[in-house]
Amino acid sequence: MPLADALSFLPGLATTLAKPAEDAAALRRLAEWCGRYSPWTAPDGADGVRIEITGSAHLWGGERALAADLAARLDRRGVASRIVIADTLGAAWAMARFAEASASVVILASGRLRAALASLPVEALRLDPITAQGLRRVGLKRAGDLYAMPRDALARRFGETVARLLDQALDEMPEPLSPLGEVPSRRVRLSFAEPITEPADLMLATERLTADLVPRLAREGTGARRLDLGFYRVDGRVERIRIGTAHPSRDPRHLAALFRERLDTVDPGLGVEDMILAAHAVEPLPAEQIGLPGHTASPHPNPPPLAGEGMGGGIAPLLDRLGNRLGLAAISRLEPRESHIPERASVRVQPHLTLPIPTDQVRGLKAHDAMGPLPLPPKGRRGPKTPSPPPGAERAGVRWGISGKPPRPIRLFDPPEPVEAFWLLPDDPPFRFMWRRRRHRVMRADGPERIADEWWRPGGAGEVDAIRDYYRVEDEDGRRFWLFRAGLHGGDRKPRWFVHGVFS
Amino acid sequence: MAHGVLPFGVAAIDRALPGGGLARGALHEILGAGGDEEDGALAAAFAAHILGRLTKPPTSPSRSLTRPGPSLSPLKGGEGKQTLSLSALGGGEGRGEVGMVLWCLPRPDLYGPGLAAHGLDPGRVVLVRASRDAEILWAMEEGLRASGIVAVVGEVGALPMVASRRLQLAAERCGITAFLLRRWREGGQATRERALPNAAVTRWRIAALPSRPSRGEPGVGRPRWRVELLRCRGGEPASWEMPAWEMGVPDATDHVSLAAALADRPAAPVAAEKYRRTG
Repeated sequence: MPLADALSFLPGLATTLAKPAEDAAALRRLAEWCGRYSPWTAPDGADGVRIEITGSAHLWGGERALAADLAARLDRRGVASRIVIADTLGAAWAMARFAEASASVVILASGRLRAALASLPVEALRLDPITAQGLRRVGLKRAGDLYAMPRDALARRFGETVARLLDQALDEMPEPLSPLGEVPSRRVRLSFAEPITEPADLMLATERLTADLVPRLAREGTGARRLDLGFYRVDGRVERIRIGTAHPSRDPRHLAALFRERLDTVDPGLGVEDMILAAHAVEPLPAEQIGLPGHTASPHPNPPPLAGEGMGGGIAPLLDRLGNRLGLAAISRLEPRESHIPERASVRVQPHLTLPIPTDQVRGLKAHDAMGPLPLPPKGRRGPKTPSPPPGAERAGVRWGISGKPPRPIRLFDPPEPVEAFWLLPDDPPFRFMWRRRRHRVMRADGPERIADEWWRPGGAGEVDAIRDYYRVEDEDGRRFWLFRAGLHGGDRKPRWFVHGVFS
Repeated sequence: MAHGVLPFGVAAIDRALPGGGLARGALHEILGAGGDEEDGALAAAFAAHILGRLTKPPTSPSRSLTRPGPSLSPLKGGEGKQTLSLSALGGGEGRGEVGMVLWCLPRPDLYGPGLAAHGLDPGRVVLVRASRDAEILWAMEEGLRASGIVAVVGEVGALPMVASRRLQLAAERCGITAFLLRRWREGGQATRERALPNAAVTRWRIAALPSRPSRGEPGVGRPRWRVELLRCRGGEPASWEMPAWEMGVPDATDHVSLAAALADRPAAPVAAEKYRRTG
């Protein structure tokens, strides 16, 4: 009905603009809030929320108690609702929208599914209006009218959908629910009789939750790599803290400490009534011997720095604290690689990936595929970053080579920084170069050390530009640089010069 | 000096430091000079040399340095200081020489082979990249509270007094040695920061010196450094010009003289001839 007509029927009708996007966002928030009942929730159409409560109803004292709790909370927030608990999504959808019962909570017992649906109009089967109209035109007005119809005839006449939706509503065909977000492998919940707002209370609750979660992980012999702590506020919003760990952990104090650092980012609003801690990624973590008091020195002269830790010592807790503030990518370790290309001889890897990897898994095609040809030095001031090889590649038996090769700089620029160089003879080092707007006169030089492309890698041969001649030069102040010339004289392109590193 | 000292293994420098070495469990500041203030290559090399000695497992040859040798005895006033440093070091070795180095820096340009050449096993270094100085200082402080860490290094530009004092206190409390490598991107900041006081126990400046062409050999000669102790709590400022290989820096002959080899070098009188004391 157009607005003008409506206003003529009922002058003074309150009107407001439709905002479908905001409605959808609000519904999504509501669905997320419903996560307190089960991790499997999703918005349904424009006006509904689906919750899969199989396996979680008993936590609330049964379906009836759960529905009552949900109804009361929705009421308090001023959300008009009808809650239907049924065996199938289809039946619940139909009953919630088309049942004539006046009660706001309907719980459909398993045996009454067919009977309850039979009296509902065909639209209750989640059909689109055109299909429903078609069914009505041939006299199929109620869902029950379809029960007796052969499914293949229905499918031929009205499309596959009708038959499928009918079967799904009647529990003759499964219907999966794709939940909002990720479904955790473990979760623990804490509800408060009174909403809490104080940071100290929130911290206390966080500690309780982590202490709750840890025994479950310990029973399974796993540790958490990724955790999500949800704060369900009284106004229906959900605040979250997500943390990750560099090494699987089930140390309750450590996990709680990781949350504590982020707790000030949580706005409790008028209060938090539920907190749910979910472990999203768990990895095997064998049971460990807790360190004996007073025994701190390791018998190993050089222990693997991350192995065998988690409950007491080691640097894994530190890496987690740093990683959760700066991002796990900010933490790395240096690993040697068997390569002549300077930037490939030392790569940065994630700390937790440095745990021993069997060598037979390491030497594979994958590693080489990912390496690719030697990247050309950048054309501009800042080029694309050199792709680093995958962790574990070519690691076996590689050591930091400090002898046999000319000296290597202590700082290596990645990418190499282009310089403007002046030279006399083709194979000479430059006598002068400009770097970072400063002029350096070359007093002494060593070189060249020719480093060519690794031709055995796919696509690695043939590029003249990929041949580098390295020179170690000293300027008038005694500073030492590692310069290289990319490309050869006599080609179509002029060779270019770069500073690749600085020596001590 | 509650946590003992770490001798440099270079007699001339050890003599200038109270206790005969670099204080453990304290904050030390290392500056570059000239254009190297931006790159911090020499500062990193100097730090790597110290860290290499700090992280050596107890069984390594570096231990021989702790033995009272003839090299230390002729020094003036050496006797009292020597015993102090020895006993302190003995305590330090059992405590945690085995551990990691947390190196916090804005741009991860440290090069593994280069570190290895300066005696620091790169496998012991955990790099933490943070773009802002405040984050680097925070990460350093976290590192000072953690277990399994023997030393913390941070490369910062701006250093507020409060931050340096916090670091110094944290280092004192836990006995972990902390190093601040100062890197300045632009001259204005460098001038400003150089003048500011901070709570570090020592302040060093390492500058490169032009190498002397040796015996008519062409090419780059052996690196030489000017090591300046600009400030030292309980000690006098001093400066030395020295060949860098004394500090374990690889020289032009492609050979690496590791710090460990210094342990058995001739006694102090010879060393005294090598250095020209300038300040």
